[in-house]
Amino acid sequence: MSRLKRIYDWFELRLQLEGPVGEVVLHKVPRDTASWWYVFGSAAFTLLMLQIVTGILLALVYVPSGAQAWNSLNILNHQIPLGWYLRALHGWGSDFMVAVVFIHMAQVFLFGAYKYPRELTWTVGVFLLLATLGMAFTGQVLRFDQDAYWGLGIGVFIMSRVPWIGGGLVHLLLGGPVIAGATLSRFFTLHVFVIPGTLLLLALVHVWMVIKLGINEWPMPGRLVRRSTYIADYNKLAHEDGIPFVPGAFWKDLIFSGAVVAAVAVCAAVFGPYGPGGQPDPSIIQTVPKPDFPFLWIYAVLSYLPPSMETPFILVAPILMIAGLLAVPFVAGEGEKSWHRRPVAILALASVAVAWAVFTNLATFTPWSPHMNAWSGDTLPVRYLEEATPLVRQGAVIFQAKQCRNCHSVGGHGGQRGPALDDVATRMTVDQLRFKVVSGGGNMPAYGKNLSPPEIEALVSFLETLHPKGQSPAIDAAQQAVENAAASPPGSQGGTP
Amino acid sequence: MRLGVLYGIVLGLALLTAGCNAMPGDPRSGPPIPPDQVTDFHILYNRNCQACHGANGRNGPAIDLANPEYEALIDDTTLRRIVANGMPGTEMPAWAQSAGGMLTDAQVNALVAGMRREWARPNAFAGGTPPPYAQNQTGDAKRGQQTYQARCASCHHTPAHQQVTSPVYLSLVSDQMLRTLIIAGRPDIRQPDWRHDTPNGGAGQPLSAQDVTDIVAYLHALRNPDEVSAAPLSNAPRR
Amino acid sequence: MSQSDSPNPPSAGTEIKPAGEHTSDQDNPAVVSRRWLLLKAGIALNGLVGVALAVPIFRYLLGPVRRDSYYNSWVSLGAADNFPIGETRLVSYRNPFTRSWDGQTDDIACYVRREGSAQFRVFAINCAHLGCPVRWFPQSQLFMCPCHGGVYYADGSRASGPPERGLFTYTYKIVGGELQIDAGQMPTLSNTAKLVQIATPGKDGDSSCRG
Repeated sequence: MSRLKRIYDWFELRLQLEGPVGEVVLHKVPRDTASWWYVFGSAAFTLLMLQIVTGILLALVYVPSGAQAWNSLNILNHQIPLGWYLRALHGWGSDFMVAVVFIHMAQVFLFGAYKYPRELTWTVGVFLLLATLGMAFTGQVLRFDQDAYWGLGIGVFIMSRVPWIGGGLVHLLLGGPVIAGATLSRFFTLHVFVIPGTLLLLALVHVWMVIKLGINEWPMPGRLVRRSTYIADYNKLAHEDGIPFVPGAFWKDLIFSGAVVAAVAVCAAVFGPYGPGGQPDPSIIQTVPKPDFPFLWIYAVLSYLPPSMETPFILVAPILMIAGLLAVPFVAGEGEKSWHRRPVAILALASVAVAWAVFTNLATFTPWSPHMNAWSGDTLPVRYLEEATPLVRQGAVIFQAKQCRNCHSVGGHGGQRGPALDDVATRMTVDQLRFKVVSGGGNMPAYGKNLSPPEIEALVSFLETLHPKGQSPAIDAAQQAVENAAASPPGSQGGTP
Repeated sequence: MRLGVLYGIVLGLALLTAGCNAMPGDPRSGPPIPPDQVTDFHILYNRNCQACHGANGRNGPAIDLANPEYEALIDDTTLRRIVANGMPGTEMPAWAQSAGGMLTDAQVNALVAGMRREWARPNAFAGGTPPPYAQNQTGDAKRGQQTYQARCASCHHTPAHQQVTSPVYLSLVSDQMLRTLIIAGRPDIRQPDWRHDTPNGGAGQPLSAQDVTDIVAYLHALRNPDEVSAAPLSNAPRR
Repeated sequence: MSQSDSPNPPSAGTEIKPAGEHTSDQDNPAVVSRRWLLLKAGIALNGLVGVALAVPIFRYLLGPVRRDSYYNSWVSLGAADNFPIGETRLVSYRNPFTRSWDGQTDDIACYVRREGSAQFRVFAINCAHLGCPVRWFPQSQLFMCPCHGGVYYADGSRASGPPERGLFTYTYKIVGGELQIDAGQMPTLSNTAKLVQIATPGKDGDSSCRG
C-alpha cells in the first residue's frame, strides 16, 4: 500500500489534480437534483465519447474519396470482420445522441434551468445542439450514397437562394461546380476535424459552467429567481440541504449513461447499420432521396410550403429559430422556474414537440411524393375489373399507363398526393370527373393536352365504376331533372350513361 | 452493486453476440444493385409490367401474358420488339432505353425469357391450329360485320357505347391487339379463344383465319363510323 | 479513498507558487514601462503576422468560388439525329470540370427534348424546387419529382407542386450535327443567368430569385 501511495504522491506532486478534482467531486448539490430527470446531459456527453471512439475506428478503413468512399463502406459492411457493427454503433450512436440532446434541452427548458445565472450555459448549449445536428448532416454526407448525393443537392438549392452571394456559397459548399470528390473531402474535414473539435471544446465549457454555477435546483412553485438574491439562495440550499455530487447524484448519471450505451449496442446488433444505399452516381435517377431521421421534419415542412413562401421561409426561418432559442434566457431570465406556473412555456414546448412529431411521422410515408413505380408496379384490385366492359377495362389501362396511380391510390396502393379514388364515383359526376381530368386544379396537373378525347372518355368510364358496392355513383340532379321534364327516356343522353 | 449487475449483463450480452456470428443486424445482402443491372424476371415484371398485365400475368386490365396460348402465338422476335419499342396504337409503352424507356437490352431479354419460362406451355393449343399472329390476308368489313353479329354480339352487347364496337374503345387499341385477343382469348376473364368454346367448357365452332381477319377489318372500319353505315353507334357517349 | 484526512495533504506544503507575488509600478498597466511596451509590441507583431497569413488562407478557402465561365464549357451530347423529333430522352454526360478522384459523381444526367429539326430543349435533371432528380413519363407527358412532388409539363413549365418555376434548361448549339450544351455546374437558382428562363403560365415567374 505504501508503495502505491508513494507512486500516487509522485504523480500528484507533479499534476496537482487532487484539489480541483476533489472540489468537483465533492461539491454540494441540492438534494433534489439527484434525480433521474438530471441524467440526460451526462448521457449526451457519454454518447459524444462513444461517437469519437467509433468514429476514429471507422476512419481506420473509410476512404474519403469521391470514387472510393462508397466502396469502402461496402467493404466495412461485408469484408472487415464486424465492420458493419462499428458502422451500426456509430450510426445508432448518432441517432441516440441527437435524441438525447433534444430531450436534455427540453428538460432544461421545462425546469427553467436556463435562468439567471445560467444564461450562458444555455447559449453554449444551443450551439452544442447546432453542432450535433451539423455532425448528423455531415455524417449523412460521408455515407456517400444516393441519399447523401441528393441530400447535398437539397443543401445546394437552399444555399443558392441566398441573394447576391448564393452562387459563391454553392461553390464554397461543394468545393467546385458540382457535387463531387472535392465536396466529400470538405465534408470529411467538417465531420472529422472542425465540428467535433468545436463540439468538444463547447461541451467542456458547458460542463465547466455546470460545475461552477451548480446544478439547477429542483423547481418549486413560488421560489422565484431574482438576480439580487439567487446566488445566495442557491448556496444556502446547496449547503443546508445538499449532498456531495459524488456519489449522491453521480450514480444515476453513470447508470443511465451505461444503459444508453447498452441500448445503442443492442440496437446496432439487432438492426444493423444504415446503408449505404445505391452508389452515388447521379446518372441513376431511379431513386427516391430521403434525409436521415433528424432531418425528416425539415423534409416534410419543405413539401408543404406554398411556392411563394419557399425562399423567404428557407432563408429566414432557421435564423429566427436559432435567434429564438438564444433569446430564451434573456427574455425570461428571472422569475418562476416551476412548470406549474409557466403555462406559456409549457404550451410552446408542447406545440413544438407535437409539430415535430407530426412532421417527422408524415415524412416517414411522404404523402406528398408521387410513387414513381406505382403506375407500372401496383396492380388494380381484381374485383374492380370483374364486371368491366371493354371500354372500362381500357380506361383502367389508361389509368395505369398515364401515371394517374403515381399520385392517386386505389385499393390502398399508389401515391397519396391526390385523394384515393376507390369511391371517386360517389363524389363526382361524370362531367366533374371529365373536367377535373382535363383541366386539373389544386395540386393536379391538367391532362387536357396530354390525353386524347377517347383516352379521357375511357378513363372517365373507368373512374365512374369506382364506387363501393351498393352505393350508386353521383349524379347531376339538375340535368336529371331537365331530362325527366323533357319526358325523353332517361339515360339516353344524360351525364350518367 | 446494481451497477455491477448491469455491466455484467451488458458485458455478457456483448460477448454472447460477438461470439456467435449471427447478430440479426449483420447486413448479409450485398450492396444494392443499380437499377439498370437488375435482371431478375420477377423483380423486373413486378416493377414494370404487373400494373397493367396483372400479378403473375393474370387479371390485369391489359392482356394476360400468362395465357399459354398467347405465349405460343407470338414469336420471340415480335414479343421482344413489343417490349422494347412498345405497341403502336395502344398504351403499351416502349421500355428499351434505345426507344426512350428505362430498361437495358439485357433487361428486355430477361423479361422475354422470363415470360417464356414462367408461362409458355408445350402444346398450348391442344392440337388445334390457330390463325397466324400476323394478318396475312385482306379482310372484308362487310363479311366481318356478319361474322361479328353471328359469333361475337351475343356476349358483346350491352352497354353498346362501352363495347368493342365503340369507336372510343377502338381508337385506343390497334388492329393487331384485337386480332391477338380474338385468337388467344383471355382465359383470366373467361373470354374464349378463336375456337370459341363456351365459358362452361362446351366445344364451339372455331373461327377461321379469314373470319378473324374479317372481324378485325370490320372493327377497323368502325373507327371511322362514316365508312360503315349499319354500325350501332347511336348510343356512343356525347362529347 | 484518496481523500485522506491527514492533517498535511501533500499539496499543502509542496505547492509551488507562481513567482512574482508582489506588485510594483512596473506591473501596473497604467504605468508605461518598457515591459508593457514590449508586450504590446509582441501582440502587434502576432496580429500583423496573423493578418498576413489570413490573406493567403482566405484566398485558398475561397478558391472554389469562380465565375460561371471558369467552370462551364460546351459538352457534346452526341449526334443530334439520335434524338427523335417530338420525344424527350434521358442522356448523361461527363461533367467538363473534373478531378481524377470524383468517380461516378461527374456523370450528370439531363433530358433532351427535340421540338424540331434544329429546335431543342435540354432540361436539367434537377427539380427547380430542391434539386432532386425528376423523372420523365412519356405516357402522360409529365416530369415528376420524387422528393416533394413537383410536376412539370413536357415543355418544362411548372404543372403543380412546390417548385416556383419551370425546369432549368441548358443553352445548346449544334456543331457539325452534334448537339452541344453549355454545362459544368449544378444548375441552381443562383446561376440561372446562364440558363434560359421558362415562363410559368398564370404565374409571375420567380421574382423572389435572382437570375
